[in-house]
Amino acid sequence: MSQVNMDWASFFQSFANGLLIAGLYAAVTLGLTLVLGVMGIVNFAHGEMVMLGAYNTFWLFTLLGLDPLLSIAASGFLLFFVGLLIYRFTIRPILNDPPLNQLLLTLGISIFLQNLAMILWKTDSRSVITSYSGMSLHLGMVHVGLTRLLTFLIAIGLTIVLILFLYKARSGRAMRAVSENNTASWLIGINVQKTYLLAFGVATGLAGASGALVSTVMYTYPMVGFKIGLKAFCILVLGGLGNIPGALFGSLILGLTESFVGTYVPEGSGWAEGISFILIMIILIIKPTGLVGTRRE
Amino acid sequence: MSRSFSWTKAIFLVGLAVFLLWVPKLADPYFLHLTVAAFVAMILASSWDILARTGQVSVGQAGLFGIGAYTAVLFYKWVYLSPVLGMFAGGIIALLVAAFLGTLTLRLRGIYFSITTIAFAEALSVIWLMTPGFAGGAMGLSTPPLFGGNREQAYYLILALLALVTFVVWLIQATRLNFAFTAIRENEEVANVMGINPTRYKVLAFMISAFFTGFAGGFYCHYNTYIIPYEVFGLGISIACLVMPIFGGLYTIAGPIIGTIVIKAIEEYLRVTVSYGHQIAYGLILVVVVLFMPEGLVGLWGKKILPHFRTGPKNG
Repeated sequence: MSQVNMDWASFFQSFANGLLIAGLYAAVTLGLTLVLGVMGIVNFAHGEMVMLGAYNTFWLFTLLGLDPLLSIAASGFLLFFVGLLIYRFTIRPILNDPPLNQLLLTLGISIFLQNLAMILWKTDSRSVITSYSGMSLHLGMVHVGLTRLLTFLIAIGLTIVLILFLYKARSGRAMRAVSENNTASWLIGINVQKTYLLAFGVATGLAGASGALVSTVMYTYPMVGFKIGLKAFCILVLGGLGNIPGALFGSLILGLTESFVGTYVPEGSGWAEGISFILIMIILIIKPTGLVGTRRE
Repeated sequence: MSRSFSWTKAIFLVGLAVFLLWVPKLADPYFLHLTVAAFVAMILASSWDILARTGQVSVGQAGLFGIGAYTAVLFYKWVYLSPVLGMFAGGIIALLVAAFLGTLTLRLRGIYFSITTIAFAEALSVIWLMTPGFAGGAMGLSTPPLFGGNREQAYYLILALLALVTFVVWLIQATRLNFAFTAIRENEEVANVMGINPTRYKVLAFMISAFFTGFAGGFYCHYNTYIIPYEVFGLGISIACLVMPIFGGLYTIAGPIIGTIVIKAIEEYLRVTVSYGHQIAYGLILVVVVLFMPEGLVGLWGKKILPHFRTGPKNG
């Protein structure tokens, strides 16, 4: 009988872990989805924005003792401005180029930042350990780390704020209009350039804030952005490109799959890193338009 | 060929061939080693460019390179297949994998292909790390030195492969394939209407590219005598494969080769000056090329530098 209980406990535990990490994936992927939806660009450097947010949090914590939860705002603002600069000086000049060039440009920025991080901060894995890092809550059979829970709640909060912004705020609605049709938006008096700028800044700011969360639940190292960016790409394919509900659903699928593979497959935590690719392949075989909706192919 | 035949070109090519065949007699072992490494990189760059001619960006050439490398070493370990045949097998297996991946992803928008290739190389690296019993795991595998350590023979082998890939690129450029690839790159819908099946040509380009990349992987494995998954499936190789031709100049024969020479020189310099992150130059070059010199070094030479030396009427 206790064996049965144990089985259920590990099932619920995996489910909870998957759900919690899915929240973080969603926050990271939303920015990527926003830029893709509004500007039609897949930002390969999105993961590196997360990485910079994580390092910013790590250093603020290590040097100034700033609580990582407080540096969510700091990382968010910092990366918002980094995003504005990247947009103004690199992306704007090539907006009308073939998509190939935008892909290569953001890939170049990504490689540059990865290696810059290696040069500045070495390849060591750093972690942010606060006074409450070890605490956990017991909800029935499930143990939930306090940091993971907070991370999840904040990530969900960020997601909700972004969605409210897109549907209620004037500039957010402009973004949705531009993503539907940028010429028509321009005709009715929306400043498309400004909308692009803002969308890119909001996306990188969101990535920076997610980076602060990443630093509390994972190691921070130069390639962490690459790893997370790859997962975000997988979620993008799962949900259908540039589709917000799809991105949320895709995050859930990836988080849960990784968690269950980690629990039930021998040496699963190692295999879990390869799940993204398997999911991409499955989706491309069964439904290339993504699991939700049919927009944009 | 006859219409573009010129004596200057012929003399240049013959001179180049004689020089390249003579190199092992002139060079010291270290320089010969650098040359072999540069030739491997040129093969990777040229074969990436073949695929790029159809407008597709592979960010996971390391996956194919690694497959070639491991195919060669595993065939050697299991059935004592001779190294050169092993390299060929590596090319064939990479080609088959590319056919499978390409058929699935190349019918969709280009971005799906790029994302899939990058995830593909990462997934292979995970598989290799997790299966130490099958192929050595993180510790990697080793082989005895190629041709008993005779670097000259290794040089001639890789020179032959480089010549072959250059010939194939020339062939693509000189035949109707060129029109098909360019049409698909410029506008897929229009190409489709003109009766070109875009997916078929893209898959074909990916398979050719994969064969040479896999063959080069097999060569690298036997030449280096030692491979680890972290390196052969690593992002570093995938990035090098695309930055070198882009820097040199896309869709040309000389571009990938010139780009490789310049980048290898920069890399060799940075390797001794910074211990981590010497690929920072790759990122910087990519950004600068996309923003300021979209036709690469070859284009820069043709447009900005050559006209200064020209006297008389310009003939483009």
